[in-house]
Amino acid sequence: MKITARRLIATTSVVALAASVVLVGGMNSANAATAKPVTGGTLNYYTHAEQFPNLDPQRIYTGRDIAFLGSYVMRTLVSYKPVPGKDGATLVADMATNTGVPSNKAKTWTFTLRPGVSWEDGKPVTCADVKYGWSRTFATDVYVEGPAYPLSWLDIPQAKDGSSAYKGPYKKTGQALFDKSINCSKDNRTITFNLSRTVPDFNYYLTYLAGGPVPQAKDTGDKYDLRPMSSGPYMIKKYAINDEMVLVRNPNWKKSSDPIRTPYPDDIVVTFGMDEDVRDQIDLEDQIPNGINMDGLQPSNNVAFFEDPTKKNRRMNNYDPYTTYLAANNSAGHLDCLDVRKAVFFAFDNQSLIDLSGGLTYYGEMGDNPVKPVIGMDYAPTKGNIHDPNFKIGGNPEYAKTILEKAKTSCPDAYDRATNPAKGLKYYRADTATNKKAAVLVEAALKKAGFVIETVYKPSGTYNANLETYKNETDFLSSGWGADWANASTVIPELWGDGCCNYTKNKKTPEYAGFIKKVNLALVELDRKKQAKMWQELSQYGMDQYWYIRTVFGKSQQTWGSKIGGVYYWEPQGSFGFGQLYVKQ
Amino acid sequence: MSQFLEVSNLNVTFPTEDGDVRASNEITYSVGLGETLAIVGESGSGKSVSNLAVMGLHNPSRTKITGSAVLNLSSGPVDVISAPTESVRKLRGKEMSMIFQDPMSALHPFFSIGDQIAEAWHLYNKGSKKDGIKKATEMLELVGIPDAANRVNDYPHQFSGGMRQRAMIAMALVNNPALLIADEPTTALDVTVQSQILTLLKNLQKELNMAIILITHDLGVVAEFADRICVMYGGRIVESGSVEDIFYRPSHPYTLGLLNSVPRLSSGTSHRLKAIPGQPPSLIELPAGCAFAPRCEYVSRVTSGACLTQVPQLIEKSTSHSSRCHLSAGELNNPVKDKA
Amino acid sequence: MFSYVSRRLLYTVILLLIVSLTIFFIFDLIPVDPARLVCSKQCTPSLVEANRHRLGLDVSVFEQWWRFLVGLFAGRTFGEEGIAITCAAPALGYSFSRHECVTTIVAEAFPFTLSLALGAFILWLSVGISLGVLSARKKGKFADRASSVFVLVGTSLPTFISGILVVLFIVLKFNLVNPLELGNWHNPFTDPFGWLQTFFFPCATLALAYAATYTRFTRSNVIETSSEDFIRTARAKGLSEKVILRKHTLRAALAPIVTIAGLDFAGLLGGAIITEGIFGLNGLGKLSIKAVTQTYDLPIIVATTLIASAFVLIMNLIVDIAYAFIDPRVRTS
Repeated sequence: MKITARRLIATTSVVALAASVVLVGGMNSANAATAKPVTGGTLNYYTHAEQFPNLDPQRIYTGRDIAFLGSYVMRTLVSYKPVPGKDGATLVADMATNTGVPSNKAKTWTFTLRPGVSWEDGKPVTCADVKYGWSRTFATDVYVEGPAYPLSWLDIPQAKDGSSAYKGPYKKTGQALFDKSINCSKDNRTITFNLSRTVPDFNYYLTYLAGGPVPQAKDTGDKYDLRPMSSGPYMIKKYAINDEMVLVRNPNWKKSSDPIRTPYPDDIVVTFGMDEDVRDQIDLEDQIPNGINMDGLQPSNNVAFFEDPTKKNRRMNNYDPYTTYLAANNSAGHLDCLDVRKAVFFAFDNQSLIDLSGGLTYYGEMGDNPVKPVIGMDYAPTKGNIHDPNFKIGGNPEYAKTILEKAKTSCPDAYDRATNPAKGLKYYRADTATNKKAAVLVEAALKKAGFVIETVYKPSGTYNANLETYKNETDFLSSGWGADWANASTVIPELWGDGCCNYTKNKKTPEYAGFIKKVNLALVELDRKKQAKMWQELSQYGMDQYWYIRTVFGKSQQTWGSKIGGVYYWEPQGSFGFGQLYVKQ
Repeated sequence: MSQFLEVSNLNVTFPTEDGDVRASNEITYSVGLGETLAIVGESGSGKSVSNLAVMGLHNPSRTKITGSAVLNLSSGPVDVISAPTESVRKLRGKEMSMIFQDPMSALHPFFSIGDQIAEAWHLYNKGSKKDGIKKATEMLELVGIPDAANRVNDYPHQFSGGMRQRAMIAMALVNNPALLIADEPTTALDVTVQSQILTLLKNLQKELNMAIILITHDLGVVAEFADRICVMYGGRIVESGSVEDIFYRPSHPYTLGLLNSVPRLSSGTSHRLKAIPGQPPSLIELPAGCAFAPRCEYVSRVTSGACLTQVPQLIEKSTSHSSRCHLSAGELNNPVKDKA
Repeated sequence: MFSYVSRRLLYTVILLLIVSLTIFFIFDLIPVDPARLVCSKQCTPSLVEANRHRLGLDVSVFEQWWRFLVGLFAGRTFGEEGIAITCAAPALGYSFSRHECVTTIVAEAFPFTLSLALGAFILWLSVGISLGVLSARKKGKFADRASSVFVLVGTSLPTFISGILVVLFIVLKFNLVNPLELGNWHNPFTDPFGWLQTFFFPCATLALAYAATYTRFTRSNVIETSSEDFIRTARAKGLSEKVILRKHTLRAALAPIVTIAGLDFAGLLGGAIITEGIFGLNGLGKLSIKAVTQTYDLPIIVATTLIASAFVLIMNLIVDIAYAFIDPRVRTS
């Protein structure tokens, strides 16, 4: 998922990638394995936010919320394995009996519901409920949020602009088309999805709450966002925005039907609207030992927490789901020259930006791939770029100059643009104070290598809204990305292919066409291992083209109260493994 | 016959950072029932200060007062200078009252005239609210305000200047005090209204048999209404006597100067007014000798030079007439040939 | 009197109409597109348009305003085809970020704001005026100097500092309130102690800044009034110092405070943004700041702005009338 401007904090680390992998392993601390879990008690969460953005399953699109609500209130057909480390990216069955059966070259997928899965009112969860949940995604005039994959995947005609012929269960236009695309068996326990094309990683989408069921009789439209029905071990007793959410045990949830969740606490309370300084103080002082700060700490408090040896057992530092990058505009009139891009890459001073951000450990590491290690098998370290012996973290202007020299002959136009004082490169940035400081450092480093560069400031309040315009004018564009699920199919096509957020603006050369062809082949590859290899090759290709001038693997820190047990970091969701937490006595 | 008010040797000093302001020095005067004493002088001569001391209106923490001011009440004499503040307060409004120069600022803008008068009456009389208003109405009629029954509910800003001063007088006299101190009561009013107010005071004095101290800088006013006059300069009384004494036989150069500076109907337009040259002295740094000496024409006539070195004593020229000057009697030229 | 009041009320209504229309205009001018805000990353132009229609932003500003006005009197329905939601009159709109009729949201938020405003108002008036009178009477002495320190502290400490200090070092340090219950609502009539727990510190924090100003103001007014001629007259009448202070001095010295206090109070009824935020009180201030800076929730912005304006306008009227009662010189005009 794409990240907002707030998370664009660029840093790096001094050590090479090998050492940083060790760092990652070492910091992924979990206090899970040792103590024995305790049943009972109240588990508190507290946050500055006034509400969850959405509780309606079809409208939820953030990993943290999917993890939280999925662990407690809403079950899905399939889930990620609730364990720490790389293994967490494995799919396991939740409401279904297995992780789905593809057929017809993965154009048809079948799932069977387990026995004993029921709603909080005792009624069983049926195929019709799952089908109804899927239909709500099509009511795009009512629900604007949430993932839109069903619109393009299900075998229903689609208009050019992406809108579907089916307009959802309220308008009911095209209802017959929808009913054909999803079939329920006579016993209402087996569901078959008929897709419009091969989607090998279709079952990953079913980890999303949006792929889950909603009982039609209980659908309250826009208000369902305040009180959804529970199929999980807890149900919503109270949800008052700005006040609190209270979850109590769902008497109709059966452990025998749920291999994934271990609901130890009796109640779960989320307190909203806490002032940030107050929240940080409570966390630092452990004033709510059975509580968890859901937001993380403000930067200076974060540092204080993590440098305090007495707080060792209450914190962890892991990769978050996001990669931040600086994309080069490859289109004509911009950086349409490999040598120029490569020269910029080696001239770039990453160290100064780390120093500016004040903390290398907390913000991330220099990356070598748009795909992040947390995604699992699709990640492999690339060759070259930051692994090139000529790469220096503080910039290597001498080496960059030599590359730039080559561009004089290989692409004289681009060379001229990049070095002619009358022309020069442009870097559009949001006009925040931090960006202004960073721009000074970036310009200085590039000038050392002979570049002419100018930073163009744009109003930060509307920066994101205007990205579509800026991307055509700027030579460099900074952004970030998080994979929707543990498959690079949600990364490479989006960032480097025809997807939503390709800021590299590659020219339609035969080479690029070849690249796209390979991407499309990988998208429909049914052999998972083979697919992983294909993604790795495509990553290497893109990095060799220096489409990205810098890549940073972001990190996130979590803290918790001293009475919380069972803590681990759930890598695919980028959050706590909520379902296993308990309150110590 | 003893006078109602006998002030002896009254000194009022204000200690300040720059030194003691000796506002009143060795003030001695007296006034009897039915009698009007005028205290005349320029601004800063100390004429109000001594009377405020009589009323007990100075801030005790900021004022040093010595001497005595005895009210000879029917219940016995009371020295208001040495008496406790609480008992002096109980005399204010009842035995002695004071009215002030600017009636607009001297009346509370938020309360009706009737309420303010009634408040004074309620202080010393038992009665209902209605009784108070009734009394206030009577007093307004007494001071000549037309349509008193309605106007008693009006506010000070709804009265004209002269009416306001009448209302002030009504308020001051509602409890029948024996002494009324009027501090420049007509200075802020039109000339025509001035004489109305003064006439009113005179009539009320006859009716109520009260003593009046009239403080003013206007000699014309004094001639009409006063029985006795004290002239003050530099915080001291420089001459005191009956109206005739002062007007026909002035014995102090300052008094002479004052008289010469008053225009007279009889003088005609060709007669130039003679102003007294110079400025009044600072009350912090009074000169060593006579306070008037720096401005006095006759200094040279005192061959001993005492004017500059010695404060003259108050010397009796005749039984009721005294003056504070080193000149011997008769040495002063008297240009006043006829009545003003 | 009646014609004066009705005329002023008419002006108030007209002003509120203008204010409401202006809000819609300003909102239309800001460069942020709220229809795009909740759109997920798989946003297509048709999705944005559908959202714009859902939010009611696809019509002209006047049309939006007109619908709002109609809703005020006749209620309003949002959405279509079976999942429509109706808000009863007076409908201030529907908040799509909070899935609730704005009138309900505002009605739930108002008791917090009212409690905070009223509690702070009573505190600062009583402390400010009594301290001011005390320092005026003991001018130059110890009590006066001590209270001037208080004034200095109170006027220099902004609420975002004093509030945080109070919460961190008093409330949380001494566990006076459970941090998870900070800002919880308790009915003041059925649970006065709980209400006090929630509101005492925020009211005190808010009152501090005002009390300091009112102390200074009262002090200088009392000193100035005490030297007025009519006070000397009152003394000359034989009234005791106590009566003079209570009846004559204070009445004149405090009259201007009626105006100022009324307007200060009215301003707070629109919400005390910082104090509410720090102490976790879900009042109108917190409501409006989020709507303006984050969610661009137009119905909430309109509602909170109008309410705040209405309070100020009406209080203006009340204060003018009250002042006329106090000071008769104002009446004749």
